Order: sequence, then C-alpha cells, then structure tokens
Amino acid sequence: MPLLTVTDVTLTFGGLNALSHVSMTFEEGLITSIIGPNGAGKTSLLNCISGFYHPTRGDITFGEHDLSLAYFSPHQVSVLGIARAFQNLELFSGMSVLDNLLLARHQNLKYNLLQALVYFGKASRIEAENRAYVEEVIDFMELEPYRHKIVGNLSYGVQKRVEVARALTLGPKLLLLDEPMAGMNIEEKEDMVRFIGDIQQERDITVALIEHDLGIVMDISDQIYVLDFGELIGSGTPEEVANNPKVIEAYIGEE
Amino acid sequence: MSANRWLATGNYYSSYKEEQRIFSTHSDRLIFTLFLLSLFIWPLFLDLSSKYMLVIDNILVAIIAVLGLNLLTGFAGLISIGHAAFVGVGAYTVASFSTVIGDNHVFLTHWWPLVILIAGLVGAVFGAFVGLPSFRLRHLYLLMATLSFQIIFQWAINFSSFFNQGQTIFVPRVYWLTGKVMRKEHYLFWYYVILVVIVLFGFGIRNLLRTRHGRCLVAVRDNDRAADAMGMHPGLTKVYAFALSGFLAGVAGALHAYLYRGVGFESFTLHHSIVYLAMAIVGGMGTLNGSFWGPAAIQILELQVENLAEKAGHLFPSNMNLATALRPLTFGLVIVLFLMFEPRGIANWWRIVRSYVKLWPFRY
Ligand SMILES: Nc1ncnc2c1ncn2[C@@H]1O[C@H](COP(=O)(O)OP(=O)(O)O)[C@@H](O)[C@H]1O
Ligand SMILES: [Mg+2]
Repeated sequence: MPLLTVTDVTLTFGGLNALSHVSMTFEEGLITSIIGPNGAGKTSLLNCISGFYHPTRGDITFGEHDLSLAYFSPHQVSVLGIARAFQNLELFSGMSVLDNLLLARHQNLKYNLLQALVYFGKASRIEAENRAYVEEVIDFMELEPYRHKIVGNLSYGVQKRVEVARALTLGPKLLLLDEPMAGMNIEEKEDMVRFIGDIQQERDITVALIEHDLGIVMDISDQIYVLDFGELIGSGTPEEVANNPKVIEAYIGEE
Repeated sequence: MSANRWLATGNYYSSYKEEQRIFSTHSDRLIFTLFLLSLFIWPLFLDLSSKYMLVIDNILVAIIAVLGLNLLTGFAGLISIGHAAFVGVGAYTVASFSTVIGDNHVFLTHWWPLVILIAGLVGAVFGAFVGLPSFRLRHLYLLMATLSFQIIFQWAINFSSFFNQGQTIFVPRVYWLTGKVMRKEHYLFWYYVILVVIVLFGFGIRNLLRTRHGRCLVAVRDNDRAADAMGMHPGLTKVYAFALSGFLAGVAGALHAYLYRGVGFESFTLHHSIVYLAMAIVGGMGTLNGSFWGPAAIQILELQVENLAEKAGHLFPSNMNLATALRPLTFGLVIVLFLMFEPRGIANWWRIVRSYVKLWPFRY
C-alpha cells in the first residue's frame, strides 16, 4: 500500500522546470531511492513533499492529505509524520546534540506557558519522558559520546548523523533522507547504511532516500526512481533500473 | 549509587529528573541562597542615602528590561533598537490610568501589583504587534520595524495632549500593609518590590529556557528553516519572542513610573534603547546572568562618566555640557570594545571563574 503518492507534479522556477510531470509512489515499509545527476530535481521533490515548495501542478497524497496545497507548510507536514534530513546541514549549530533532538519533540511536549514557567509537576514530568525518548534515539544512532557537545564543533560525518537522528526523533512514519552519506568516509558510509537498514526494519519507518553512490543504492533499495533534468526517465527494482537503456545513457552521458 | 551532592567535581546524574535541576550541587544552591538572602537583609544594616538607593533601584529596573531584551536579541536573535519604547508603553499604561481615573484612585494606590501586571500585558500586546512583520521579514527589516516603533512612540507621546505632550504625568504614592509608603521609605520599599519581581522573573525565565517555550527561541535564532521542519512555526515563535520581551519591558516601565512617581517621555528615547542594547551586549547576549551584569556595569560606568564630566567641567566653557557629549561616546566605545574583544560579555568571565571553582581542587 502506498504511504505517499506523487502524481504528475510539475515545479517551475521562472520558466525553468525543476520537475515536470513526475509521478512516484512510496510503498509503506520499504526503502525507495531517488537517483539522478546534480540539478535533476531530487531535492526540489523533497522540498515539495515537506512543504518548503508547493508544486505548480500536481498532487502529493499522504493519507487523506494533499500536501501540494499552499496551506501545508513544513511545520504542519512534520506533525503529520514526515521527517526530513537536509542535504546541506541545517542543524541548530549553537546547541548541544541533546537540545537539537529535544527540539524535534516540540510538538509532543504538551504543557502550556504557565506550567513551563513554574516547571513543577506536569512540565518537568513531560520533559523527563521526552528526554527518555531522545536518549533511546541517541542510543540507536550511537551518539552517546556527543550528547552534551555543541553540534557546530562536531565533525561533518557526526553532524550528518545528528541530522538523521533529529529527524528520527520526530517519530515519523516517513523519513526523507537527502544524501545522508555525502562527504563521508567509507567507514562512516557503512555505519549509515546499517542505520538506514535498522530504521526500516526495527523502527518500521518508510524511507525515501536520495543518494549518489549507486552501489549502495542498488544494495539497499526496494524501489528506485531515476530523475534527469526534472523528468522521470526510469523506475523499478534495482535490476530493472540497472538494465534500463535510458538510465544507462543518462549516467554514461554524464561522465 | 548516590554521588556526593555537596562537592561534585564533575557531572554525575542517575535520572533525567536529577539532571533537570537548576543547581547541580548542594553547595551551589547554598551559596546562591545566601547571596539572595544578603540582597534582602543588607538594607537593615546599611542606611544608604536616597541618591544611591535610587541608583540601585534604577539598576534593578534596568535588569528587568534587559532580561526582556536579552530574550529577544540574545536568545531569539532578533535585534531591537526600540526597547525603551516598550518600557515606555508600560510606564504610559500607568500614566494613562492616572490621567483617566485620577492620580489618587485606589486602583493606582492599592491595586498597584495588578496595575504593574496590566502594564506588562499591554507591553506584550505592543510587542506582538511590532513583531508581526516577522511573518514575512527577517534581520535588518525587522530591526527597522523596532526603530519605527521607537520613532512613532516618541512622536505619539510628544504630540498628544492625552499624554501631556511628553511632560511629566504624576503617579501617586502607593499603600502597603503598613499604610501609605512615605518619602523616607519610598526607595527602600520599591527596592524590595523590584527585587521580588526580579527573583520571580529570574526563576521563571530559567525554567522557561529548559522547556519547549524557551528552546524554540534559540531554534529560530540558529536556523529557522530547521525550526520549521521540526514543527515550530518560525513566524509565530518570533512574534511570541517579541511579546515576551514586551511583557518584561512593560513591567519594567510600570515599576519605573511608580519609582519616579511620574512619567515623562525623556526616559524612553532612542538613546535609552541603545543603552539597553549596550547593557545586554556588555552583560552577555544569550545568557541569563548577563542580564544582571550588564545593567550594573553600565550604570556604574554612567556614574563615573558623570563624575568625570563634573570634575573636568570647569576646564571647558560653561555653556558646553561635557556629560552630554561624553555619554554617547563612552557607550559607543564600550559596545565596540566588547563586540571586538569579549562578544560573550561579562557573563563569560563569570563562566570561567565558575568552571575553575567547580574543578577545584583538581586544577590543570
Ligand atoms: N529556489 C529555487 N529557485 C530557483 N531555482 C531552483 C530553486 N531550487 C532549485 N532550483 C533549480 O532546480 C533544479 C533542481 O535542483 P535540485 O532539486 O536542488 O537538484 P538535485 O537535488 O537533484 O541536485 C536546479 O536547476 C536548481 O537550480
Ligand atoms: Mg540535491
């Protein structure tokens, strides 16, 4: 059953089509990857799904919601259960890892301003509960040594991991990962591949992955979509995509 | 396992509740309690003249205002150069009551805590209103909104007869359990009132900062795209920051009105807005205790400048007021020096001293 359906989406920036007539489905519980050369429109598509952009035409259906409506902004999409890790780090760099993750619990901290001012009873109890939730994610993503470190001072690879951890902390049904392994060394990439597998299998989260490393993509994806110049040029299982002449042409043409 | 909570040389916690505590060791809490106690009892032993009592009261009022500015500028990253106008809104709320219902009405003389609270709420409403452009605009444009508010405020006060064209509007003496607060105990009385307000607000804000309602401020400062993706409405959060800051400014203004027993526009000019900003910068942006250091340091500096001007005054032609010239000059210089050499303010010196003491006796 598709968790998210993108139907005939077109996104135009002053005459340039970043996306034209793109349709995709993201099946529940699977890892769906989007590949394509730089500037193909991959990030733009995620931006449409997470409410940063609104498509010029087309629908994006998630449950009974149409996310293509101008009414949906990122904070509303995040509440519905779609979390996003950004391609270029978008962390709260002046805060600790812990506070970064706690911020993702924002909508789950249900106490009011007065209770917060007093910080006795309800506010303090709910904070402690959510702290436990965050600690579980910290464990899962193996971030224990960095818990109290300021994010801006951490290495790039660790920051990427914090970015994914923060998205997980939202407790999403669908996780959008935009090049989570870019700029990492082999060891860090392997860790991230393992994390993504665990996210899908142990946490039952549907994953949409953008990644350049074709080896990894072929290895872990259930379904692959190929974008080129904003157009969908191929889709299917890893074998189908690997044998698709249009895809081969696009990738070899790029070299 | 229970760690020694008197003499911890590191951080050990065995539950998340424990880690939430404001004071991590008993000795921290004891020292703080003693310090607080001494603030309340020193007037019993030391009889300061009204002049110095007023200086101290002034510092305390400024602390409340700067707490508000620091939340807005230091924590939420929204620079305001109209903070004095928000303080003015609070003061003129009291003045308006005085004008409308008479300056001896029981509401003003007996229900003054309520009046002060209302002044805070009016400040919050004005704050939220001025912050509305943050739905669309950022950074410099928002700064212009606060500057415009400052200008409009001054203009509105100066040109309207309701506000007595900016001339002093009288505010009555108040009553307390022991009766009317007379001239002799006026400054001492307000010292205690303001001190209590600061303690309440200080703890309130400290609490706020470890909850969602405080973290969201820092989130929109650090990265408002990410804040959006994490479920915060960036525009609304900024409006909330403005309201919070306006509330504290409003309360400070009302206290100022009662303390001076009158309200005139000359206490809420652009110059004062810049002084508040200087206090926040010198104290330390984005730190709670910076809001305490800054006002004290700047007020003392201001006294020194005045003394100096008085001493050097006879060297210059008498029609030249040296203090007026020196003041903006020193403030400008102090702001620039701090921004260049200690952008984290006096609070950073305090932090260094504390971490040194905490590791004692294991120095390295
Ligand atoms: N906000 C924007 N304004 C104008 N053009 C944009 C904007 N965002 C993306 N684009 C354009 O859309 C195209 C696709 O970009 P992007 O989605 O980032 O590609 P990818 O993530 O596949 O590398 C690029 O040509 C880019 O310049
Ligand atoms: Mg991209």
